[in-house]
Amino acid sequence: MSCSPYDLKDFFFGELEAAQGRQVEEHLEGCPECREEFERLRLTRTALDSLREEEPPRRIAFVSDSVFEPRWWRALWQSGPRLGFASAAMLALAILVHAVTRPAPNVAPAPDTAAIEARIGAEVAQRIEPAVRAAVAESEARQAKKTEGLVSAARKDFELQRDADRVAIAETLVLLQKKYNVLQLASVEWGARP
Amino acid sequence: MIFREVEDRDLIAKARRGGVEAYNLLISRWEKRVFNYLLRLVRDREDALDLSQEVFLKAYQNLGKLEDAGRFGPWLFRIAHNEAFSLLRRRKPEGDAEPEPTGQARSFRMFPIELTLAVESALARLAPDQREAVVLKIYQGFKFEEMAEVLSCPVSTVKSRLYTALDLLKDTLAPIQTRGVQ
Repeated sequence: MSCSPYDLKDFFFGELEAAQGRQVEEHLEGCPECREEFERLRLTRTALDSLREEEPPRRIAFVSDSVFEPRWWRALWQSGPRLGFASAAMLALAILVHAVTRPAPNVAPAPDTAAIEARIGAEVAQRIEPAVRAAVAESEARQAKKTEGLVSAARKDFELQRDADRVAIAETLVLLQKKYNVLQLASVEWGARP
Repeated sequence: MIFREVEDRDLIAKARRGGVEAYNLLISRWEKRVFNYLLRLVRDREDALDLSQEVFLKAYQNLGKLEDAGRFGPWLFRIAHNEAFSLLRRRKPEGDAEPEPTGQARSFRMFPIELTLAVESALARLAPDQREAVVLKIYQGFKFEEMAEVLSCPVSTVKSRLYTALDLLKDTLAPIQTRGVQ
């Protein structure tokens, strides 16, 4: 049983920290038993190292053969970029197939534009023009009524103004007559003086 | 143009895209280590070679599952570990282990070939999991964390197996005084 501060085999295989290794080295200098044990380990390693590696009797090599190839789906599955590319390719293919096999939409035959134009013209003539005429007549009636109202108001204003002017003229004539009478009296009085 | 050494991760990337030649180059870098690891475990050259081929085939088929190309080594040895122990389980229990040498034989001075045989014999007497721990640490140079990854167990278990094996080997191998080796 070793009295070393750390396992001699750990020291032998270089498994100790540097400081720990130094402690074991110092211990070995002063402990003959542990030094002998360490020497036995070294001799054992030397004996084991005498066993040389051998060359393989035959070289191992493979030739390209589908038996040895990884399954295509496995290689694909284990390859992220290739799997992504395959997914994109399948998506593109699905879109293409869908576009090719999709039922064609029901396309209506080309319309007879001349007939449509004629029909539209007839409908316009039938529906729009009476409406326009009615609207125009209504507008004219509204305008006539409005004009009549304006004329009536203007006439009323005119008559009122004329009456007012007539009253004013009459009042002015009365005033002038009064002034004339005053002047006549003054003249008479002036003539009667001595 | 800038040149740099082709790394394992470059070869792995090409192999993942189906580059068999790149994978063969990757094999050439690792086959000797894998073969010797398996040889130490199963102790039979033909079995070790067959298992090596199986290991590299399975590795190729499962390269897509390797999350970190920088951990290819431990990942490859994990496959090798599974293959080796699958074979060992199919075999009968190792009842024909090497006999324990007598005390007299252990004290003899040995020629290098005798030492090699003694080491092989001592390794053969270890339990497979102990022998594997020695092989991974002594012969393959893995760190304890990497060994834990290969063996799928805690580092404490790895150290326990290795240190127990080392004690057993020490009793057998340390007394041997080699002649012509030291």
